[in-house]
Amino acid sequence: MKEYPTLAERIIRAICPDHLVDQIEGDLIELYHHDVKDIGMRKAKWRLLLNALRFFRPGILFRNRFSNPLSHTHMLANYTKITFRVMARTKTFSAINISGLALGFTSALLLFLWIQFEFSFEQFHTNKDRLYIAWNRSFENGQINCWNTTPRVLAPTLQNEFAGVDHAVSFAQWEGTQRFKVGDKKMLKTSGVYTDPAFLKMLSFPLIKGNAESALEHPQSIVITEDFAYDLFGDDEAFGEMITVSEGEYTFELKVTGVLKKLPRNTAFNFDYIIPFAFLESVSGVDEFWGNNSVTTLVMTKEGIDESQLAEEIKDVEKKHFKDGQHIEIFLHPLLKSRLYSGFENGVQTGGKIDELKVIGILAVCLVLIGCINFVNLSTARAQKRAKEISVRKVTGAVRRSLIMQFIVESIIMCSLAASLSLVLSYLLLPWFNIMMYEQLSFQEAPIWFWGCFAAAVLSVGLVAGGYPAFYLSSLSAIRVFKFSGSGKMNQLMRSGLVVVQFGFAIMLMVGATVVFRQSQFLRAMDQGYDTNRLAYVPITGDMLKNFTAFKNELLTQGFATSVTRTSTPFTEQWSSTGGMQWAGKNPEERTNIERIVVDEEIVSTSSLTLIAGRDLDLDKFPSDSNAVVINESAWRLMNFENPIGETIKDNGKDWKIVGVVKDFVFVSPFMRKSPVVLFGCEFSEALSFVYIKLDDTKSLAELKNGLEKIHRQYNVDYPFELHFADLEYAQKFEILDSMKMVSAAATLLAIFIASIGLLGMAMYMIEVKKKEIGIRKVLGGSVYSIIKMLSISSLKPIAISVLIFAPLAWLAMTAWLELFPYRIDLEVWIFVLATILILFVALFTVTTQTAKAAYDNPVNSLKSE
Amino acid sequence: MAREFLNEFEELVLTSVAVLEDDAYGAAITLELEKWLERKVTLSAVHVSLYKLEDKGYLKSKVGGATNERGGRSKRIYTITNAGTAVLRAMREKRVELWGMMPQFKTI
Repeated sequence: MKEYPTLAERIIRAICPDHLVDQIEGDLIELYHHDVKDIGMRKAKWRLLLNALRFFRPGILFRNRFSNPLSHTHMLANYTKITFRVMARTKTFSAINISGLALGFTSALLLFLWIQFEFSFEQFHTNKDRLYIAWNRSFENGQINCWNTTPRVLAPTLQNEFAGVDHAVSFAQWEGTQRFKVGDKKMLKTSGVYTDPAFLKMLSFPLIKGNAESALEHPQSIVITEDFAYDLFGDDEAFGEMITVSEGEYTFELKVTGVLKKLPRNTAFNFDYIIPFAFLESVSGVDEFWGNNSVTTLVMTKEGIDESQLAEEIKDVEKKHFKDGQHIEIFLHPLLKSRLYSGFENGVQTGGKIDELKVIGILAVCLVLIGCINFVNLSTARAQKRAKEISVRKVTGAVRRSLIMQFIVESIIMCSLAASLSLVLSYLLLPWFNIMMYEQLSFQEAPIWFWGCFAAAVLSVGLVAGGYPAFYLSSLSAIRVFKFSGSGKMNQLMRSGLVVVQFGFAIMLMVGATVVFRQSQFLRAMDQGYDTNRLAYVPITGDMLKNFTAFKNELLTQGFATSVTRTSTPFTEQWSSTGGMQWAGKNPEERTNIERIVVDEEIVSTSSLTLIAGRDLDLDKFPSDSNAVVINESAWRLMNFENPIGETIKDNGKDWKIVGVVKDFVFVSPFMRKSPVVLFGCEFSEALSFVYIKLDDTKSLAELKNGLEKIHRQYNVDYPFELHFADLEYAQKFEILDSMKMVSAAATLLAIFIASIGLLGMAMYMIEVKKKEIGIRKVLGGSVYSIIKMLSISSLKPIAISVLIFAPLAWLAMTAWLELFPYRIDLEVWIFVLATILILFVALFTVTTQTAKAAYDNPVNSLKSE
Repeated sequence: MAREFLNEFEELVLTSVAVLEDDAYGAAITLELEKWLERKVTLSAVHVSLYKLEDKGYLKSKVGGATNERGGRSKRIYTITNAGTAVLRAMREKRVELWGMMPQFKTI
């Protein structure tokens, strides 16, 4: 009799626990026979199969696993107890393990807190996925350039001509000095923006007072932040009040139509007040010229449109409207990427700040890794010490799985201790970290997932760092373990390998930190081409426009200044640039950007630029100098004149005569490429917005400040006095490099420290193992020196190897990093020699203090026991 | 003592084990329940409940003899324990108590 289909039997055998299979099969067969009588063979077979399949359920499946009576959970308490006992017995080793990991975790926490903050930029906008910034892509001289300032007329054009565009606004932050007056309160601000009404609808900057839909509709309105409102109005209501705003010779009354909540820190938008473009345009006319790239254009697309299609449409908008713009394409770059992914090279997106974040992330992971290596090395090295425990456990019936479990639990406990220590440490170090990074990070602001990731990271470090020792220790057979002496060759090799990696990181970091240090030192000490010492500037506001000459004379006669002039901008800021300048013999294809600065006479002497040909601008002797320019060396090279003096260049429809050439000076910041600069002389222009003053260097700074303020008040009653020092402004450019310097220095110290305590642990362990050997050697006449040598060399070998492997890697990495700087140092061999010597010295010191102690010890002490 | 209560199906299975006395095993319980309840009962569900009840100590089991009808496979015969009887009784009492607290149905 054919009983029943074997398929059902197979299913049951696959899914049911062994001890139940027989009875389940029996029941199934019995039901099957029952069914055959009831409903016939065919249907009964189907029902049997179905019944068999129905055993595929949690209540049956889990019975398989839980049937194992050796559940690890019962042992957890015991494992924990043993962990703490072991830790108490080997205090030094546990301290090394935990402190190494804790330091690693601390640095990772701080660095990832910063990275997390960088990633949170602009994420709070409700429409974040539909927001874009318009960029230009120009094709010139076979080169593709990208930049993100666009013509004012682009925004309305996009809005009107493209169905896929929901809103488009211009956004301009020109940092013009504006004076605010409410009652008697006066305040100078440069932190305002001009934009279009839809701005508040597109971006999620909530208003405390006012309506985002209409706040900027009326031209004579102003929206201010709550902090600025407090500065102006104190505790009084600001909403609906009038503010008197003056800029240059204009003064207007604007009504507060909105008060913004304080802007979050994780946005690139940073302003105190918003004035509608319509207001500006009602005063100075509408700028419809496509060639004037002066504003940022923010675009919000309609929901659910095809972005690639919109991009295709928008591409040629400038070509369509602007005859001279045939080489320019417009493209939309997501706002979310504007902070981290704004590097473009030859038209292709090539990273940006994200690269810096990646380096920092790798750094953090490496520091944790160095701590982990200590853990792995010390645990495997100390296997012998645990050997008896392991064998006793094995003999009394522990299976391998439970031993693995034990060691993993142990390492997770250690990791958690290290993690809690790191929480305290990082909390204490955060203020210092903030100063170093010029940030205001706080742990309270970190999102929940940040802590989730931290917990997960700690757990996985515990699993990974504990995993290898666990598998290794549990693999030893009980008999071997009892006879176990010295650890296996494979393990020794692996430990040495890990030490190589550890010290390799340390060497790379050390070389990196030294190079960053040297580069920063070099840039600071670099000849700027002009003298920032005692060079100060005062923004031209209010009456200073007409009283400048009197102000200047007063400064000179009272002896506060040795030279006074005006410029459109300090040399540390970019003001205006053009590719459209014309000169004799210019290649029509040539469109290299030339920086413009508008200056008054005597600019060369006031800022101590170095003339290499011609003369300074001097209106007294040469009245025609209002149409003269001084160019820098790069501009000369670009224009390719045999003798530049007396040549003319055309710009803005005017002819300008070159009267002087100055040596290249550091324009904007030492991180920028040398660029051609033209200093335009002019008798009077509204563009001149700063008084440049070379202060007398015999007087004290306080004296100068007071004197200047007094004279300023005399000639410009309405405006507060503001004095900027060129050297301080210049020093500010170093912030990024400074934080990099500090981070790399701190990371280097940490890496060396963690690696050294690891080495210390290993040396201590080795001496413990070889205690008897040392004693016997001494008894047989071995000298202290020979014993130290024997013990030290084996520990130092991996470090020598790591120098050989990682020093060239560091060379490559630092060469690549230096390439980023237009002005840079050469990599010198001494940096590597120094790093090597330092590392070897630290290692040698760590090891020999231990070995020497052991070597000097009286052999009686080590031999008498047992 | 806070007693663990059973779900409806577990209670039915436990009761039928008590009813079937010496012949309580998977297939028999399934057929018996189908007959009583006049609905389809899945064998695997019965098995799962039996195992759970045994874990909780309301049932005990022993492997019994094989019959030809079962293709020579053994039976696992379940018997109810004192704890099992107690829990059944407790549930029944609680239910009766609850019924007693229900307002009498009034005919309109």
